[in-house]
Amino acid sequence: MSTDDMDKSQLAAVLQILKKYNLKGTEELLRKEANLSSNLGDGSLQQSSDVSSVLTGYKSDGDPETYEDCYMELKRFVEGSLDIYKHELGMILYPVLVHMYLELVYNGHTEKAINLMRKFGPEQDPYYQDDLRKLALVTKRDHMNGNELTDTFKSNQFIIRMSRDTLSLLKRHLNDKKASVLLNIIQEHLYFDMYEGVARNKNQIDATSGAVGGEAKRQDNKTKVYYGIPKAPDIQSLAAPVEDEDEAADQDNPDKPKKKKAKKDPLFSKKTKNDPNAPPSDRIPVPDLKDNDKLEKIKAYREASKRVTLGPEYLPSVCCYTLLNANYTVTCAEITEDSSMLAVGFSDSIVKVWTLVPQKLKSMKTAEQLQDVNVDAEDVLARMMDERSGETSRSLYGHAGPVYSVSFSPDRTLLLSCSEDTTIRLWSLQIWTCLVVYKGHMFPVWDVKFSPLGYYFASASYDRTARLWATDHYQPLRLFAGHFSDVDCVQFHPNSNYVATGSSDRRVCLWDCTTGNHVRLMTGHKSPIMSLAFSVCGRFLASAGADCKVLIWDLSHGHLVAELTGHEKAIHALAFSRCGNILVSGGLDCMLKVWDFTKLTEEISSEEVNVSHNPDVRIGDDYLLRSFATKSSPLISLHFTRRNLLLAVGMFDGVPT
Amino acid sequence: MSKSSENELYGTNLSMESMKVIAESIGIGNLPDDAAKELAEDISFKLKHIIQDAAKFVHHSKRTKLMPSDVDAALKVKNLEPQYGFQSSEPLPFRFASGGGRELHFIEEKEVNLNDLLQNLNAKAPLEVSLRSHWLCIDGVQPTIPENPPPVAKNIQKLESVDPINKKPAKETSGKPTTGKQKLRNVETVQIKQLATHELSVEQQLYYKEITEACVGSDEARRAEALQSLASDPGLHEMLPRMCTFIIEGVRVNVVQNNLALLIYLMRMVKALLDNQSLYLEKYLHELIPSVTTCIVSKQLCMRPELDNHWALRDFASRLMSQICKNFNTSTNNIQTRITRMFTNALNQGDKVPLSSLYGALEGLSELGAEVIRIFVLPKLKLIGARIETHLQGSITSNIEKIASEHIKQLLIKVVAPVLKNIKNSPDYVEEYKQEYGYLGPALHAAVLKARTQPTPSTTAACNISTSLTNVSATITRTVGQPSQILQQHPQLVQNTAGPQRTIMMNQTGRVTNQINNQKILFVTQRPPTPGCQPSPQPQQNTVVKFVSNTNTLNQQKMVTAQKLGITHAAQAGQSPISVVSKSSYQQAPTKKPEQMQPPTSIDDLSHLV
Repeated sequence: MSTDDMDKSQLAAVLQILKKYNLKGTEELLRKEANLSSNLGDGSLQQSSDVSSVLTGYKSDGDPETYEDCYMELKRFVEGSLDIYKHELGMILYPVLVHMYLELVYNGHTEKAINLMRKFGPEQDPYYQDDLRKLALVTKRDHMNGNELTDTFKSNQFIIRMSRDTLSLLKRHLNDKKASVLLNIIQEHLYFDMYEGVARNKNQIDATSGAVGGEAKRQDNKTKVYYGIPKAPDIQSLAAPVEDEDEAADQDNPDKPKKKKAKKDPLFSKKTKNDPNAPPSDRIPVPDLKDNDKLEKIKAYREASKRVTLGPEYLPSVCCYTLLNANYTVTCAEITEDSSMLAVGFSDSIVKVWTLVPQKLKSMKTAEQLQDVNVDAEDVLARMMDERSGETSRSLYGHAGPVYSVSFSPDRTLLLSCSEDTTIRLWSLQIWTCLVVYKGHMFPVWDVKFSPLGYYFASASYDRTARLWATDHYQPLRLFAGHFSDVDCVQFHPNSNYVATGSSDRRVCLWDCTTGNHVRLMTGHKSPIMSLAFSVCGRFLASAGADCKVLIWDLSHGHLVAELTGHEKAIHALAFSRCGNILVSGGLDCMLKVWDFTKLTEEISSEEVNVSHNPDVRIGDDYLLRSFATKSSPLISLHFTRRNLLLAVGMFDGVPT
Repeated sequence: MSKSSENELYGTNLSMESMKVIAESIGIGNLPDDAAKELAEDISFKLKHIIQDAAKFVHHSKRTKLMPSDVDAALKVKNLEPQYGFQSSEPLPFRFASGGGRELHFIEEKEVNLNDLLQNLNAKAPLEVSLRSHWLCIDGVQPTIPENPPPVAKNIQKLESVDPINKKPAKETSGKPTTGKQKLRNVETVQIKQLATHELSVEQQLYYKEITEACVGSDEARRAEALQSLASDPGLHEMLPRMCTFIIEGVRVNVVQNNLALLIYLMRMVKALLDNQSLYLEKYLHELIPSVTTCIVSKQLCMRPELDNHWALRDFASRLMSQICKNFNTSTNNIQTRITRMFTNALNQGDKVPLSSLYGALEGLSELGAEVIRIFVLPKLKLIGARIETHLQGSITSNIEKIASEHIKQLLIKVVAPVLKNIKNSPDYVEEYKQEYGYLGPALHAAVLKARTQPTPSTTAACNISTSLTNVSATITRTVGQPSQILQQHPQLVQNTAGPQRTIMMNQTGRVTNQINNQKILFVTQRPPTPGCQPSPQPQQNTVVKFVSNTNTLNQQKMVTAQKLGITHAAQAGQSPISVVSKSSYQQAPTKKPEQMQPPTSIDDLSHLV
């Protein structure tokens, strides 16, 4: 299909929708703009452009009797081939089966289709069974209309990575047999990503397969990713002038010795060496730091100097915050970067914020009172707050559905929440009201995250898109589309230049905020992905989800480097220690697992990798340092304080297990 | 996924009958079969789709169970009207019923009386969500606090006791960090101790000390707290062997001493351990069952059998025994069978068995249930009746035996009557009863008649046993000699300053004091402070537990061996603490390091004083 045709049919579809909703003005404008004759989208086209045009790919005059034989033939060929090629060849069985099934269903041979699936469905790899079960629901042509999974199979080629030798073997077989059914399917719906080298073995294949659209193409992971962390924006020059100020403000704290200063300097200088993989600091525009932010930065550095370096010998201490009386009502939780506040989202649309420190949650004075505040005072921010209004927890009301995620801004004055009611709300933590309602997603929003620099935030939704927003724009800046199913989670890279998304199509994707393109596409999960975390160095990405595994990805080439198994139920929380040595994961199985990340990175860096050579995936619990059980409290959030104390948030499930 | 379940996938369409029933319910009388079939298929497909979508909402609500609200949300996403009014607080509101070859799932709809709602102005508000913080682990070690799960889960304890080879490596279960140093030590000691490491931390040793002292001490409030702790603390697993040793040694000594109060205290400890949800006691039953049995059937349990209520102890211990049977009886250990056989043997021995033991055996059997009574007690009724008749009617026998016989009679009437009521048919004749049960016949007859007229009395007397026993033991303590008096007698020895409000909790390192460290428990037997204040046939002796500072008692008190209570406070000595060790090795220990090591807590029977 040429691009022209494609455009035309798409336009026709758009016109049809406009017509359907009676949007005459828009329809006319579009027609004018597209220079279309008015007959497009009328009568004859109306039928074809909708359902059927999308599905014509399955129109086939193949004899329904031949499908089963065809598949048997292919299976026999795969099983009879040499051991080294067998597993790679085996990868085509699943997509061929799926497309045969869909073709049969589309052409009305339901009985044949069901027989085919019954016979060969159960012998597919276990990670495909979920999708096969979903496909098995589709038994009529009508069912294919608007079905997420069948649409994905129809409109996307299933990608299979294959070595040159294996592929030529397959081609020879296909040429010999001349089975039109098989040839059609392979030509129309399969894409072979050929590489030079030895064919992969079963383990290697299993490690990266399982995603809805097949594996990632090499082309997907070729773009350079600036995964480094840029040096802190001239914090040293910042530090000098601000410090005096800071010191002055701290005068009521006389026991703070002066020698702190000397101790701090090496800490700053350590950061100054430039990371070759870091993006230029002006790659994305960021609002200037305010004085308050600078103070905050210095405070953070000071805290960091007291940090405990964790490792196998120095395991973290964990403080667990358990939410009581919260059976089935808590949906998400998040702790501020400085560990002073905890926000919890509930299924009854409420967002509740607790303070975790002795300082109460204060609200701002009224407008009249604010006029009396001396604007030039040093502590004007403190003076703005009403001392008498302090409370240990505050509730934010506004959503109209379960709140699926909350996220604090780095300066702790703003809070984002997203909900089933399709909106994202921005709340002020100074006046404790909603500031903005971002309406853009048309379906429930699963996740929202503030950028580490503030200002930007990203959201993930049921509508299969992730979006990048800025707090001062009510419309998204970027729309990251490409996932085949819900985008379940989103995470900013520590340098804010990239956004990672995890989806129900079992793929992890890294998007460039500046261009909006995907720069990494990583397959290997076998279930929806629920949690993502970037390593402190920015090079690695950890992802975990309903398949109870934590996968570690190397972003430099998009390789899967490790698969950490041990959990028994879905994992919903991942966190790296501030020193980067430890990875912790927590899930619905009420377990907290501590993994040795240093050991992993050391082993990885000793291995030579490039874009075409996949490293061996490390499996097993060699890296598991310890696991801790909570008392029937599923963990929903994990957070390391600046001093590397681990805070866990769980909800007590009163029903004993 | 197995083949069979894959096949089921296609068969799970709603049935045509359902469609027709639903059609009828909305007024479509005769739905054609074809239409019903089409509808069934279509609706099944749509329902499955909705459920698939609802699963997404389950995931994002971080739950594992589907709830009605998820289905609502899935409908909403598909732009369908949600199901109004279908809210359920439970995850699965469906009830199942079957009958006449048909199976049915339905939702139980309770009738709600609106008047109740209208009148009840103060409707119960749901509890507010609250936040509680606690340490999940400290430097990689998980503290055993109530907020954390027990260090060794009950099922693992069970597995260990059933199949010790399967014991998981310590790394997995205990929360201790395996640093290089520790590993080395394990390697070194592996030749000496093979399976379990019986290490107790200083805190655990202190806890053990506090608990045992409180359990057998004189302060009832402290004892209640200690028992509460034993019954609820999750981290007792490691010191369980010591607790059990303490109990069995205590029973052994105090049965000889006829100290009823202490036996009651020890049985209450057993009860507390049985009640603890996080412990699996099977490994220690071979020690506990004999002790409990002793308290049921021992010939003499108290100083003055005619006055003291040792019957209460026998009843209490019997209930414990039935609880043990209920909890731990398996087809492999046959506990219930063995215990039943043991008690039955006592019945079969005829006149050789003392009456008190006979009472115990009967009580023990009767606690095991109606069936046991029917099979084992009923046939013996005539014999027992004849025996107690001689004591009750005859004038030659002692007072003690008369009381015992009276108790046996009451017991038998109490427990046998409900059984008889069920196995005998309504017209009851005194003669028949007399014929069958001899001396007890008339009394049983009366009791059965009474039982028939009354509605079935509840047989759950067990619920208040502990309280009644508390009263008994309290009174006994008061009558047999005030422990406070004893303490006053040795003022120079008394160092007990522990307040009654102490919360007994493990891992409170702050509470380590020197004072506690040089105390030890002594079971001291004691002549009555004022002779003749109680009329008693023998010189009275009580065992009391006191705190004695160890410096000036060491040479005074005769130290009796170690194996009685194999507890040492060896942690300070830096030596790996010992558990129940062999007698010989233990006796060497104090001589080796007398200056560093605390002497073992000992039970002093002081038989030389008597």
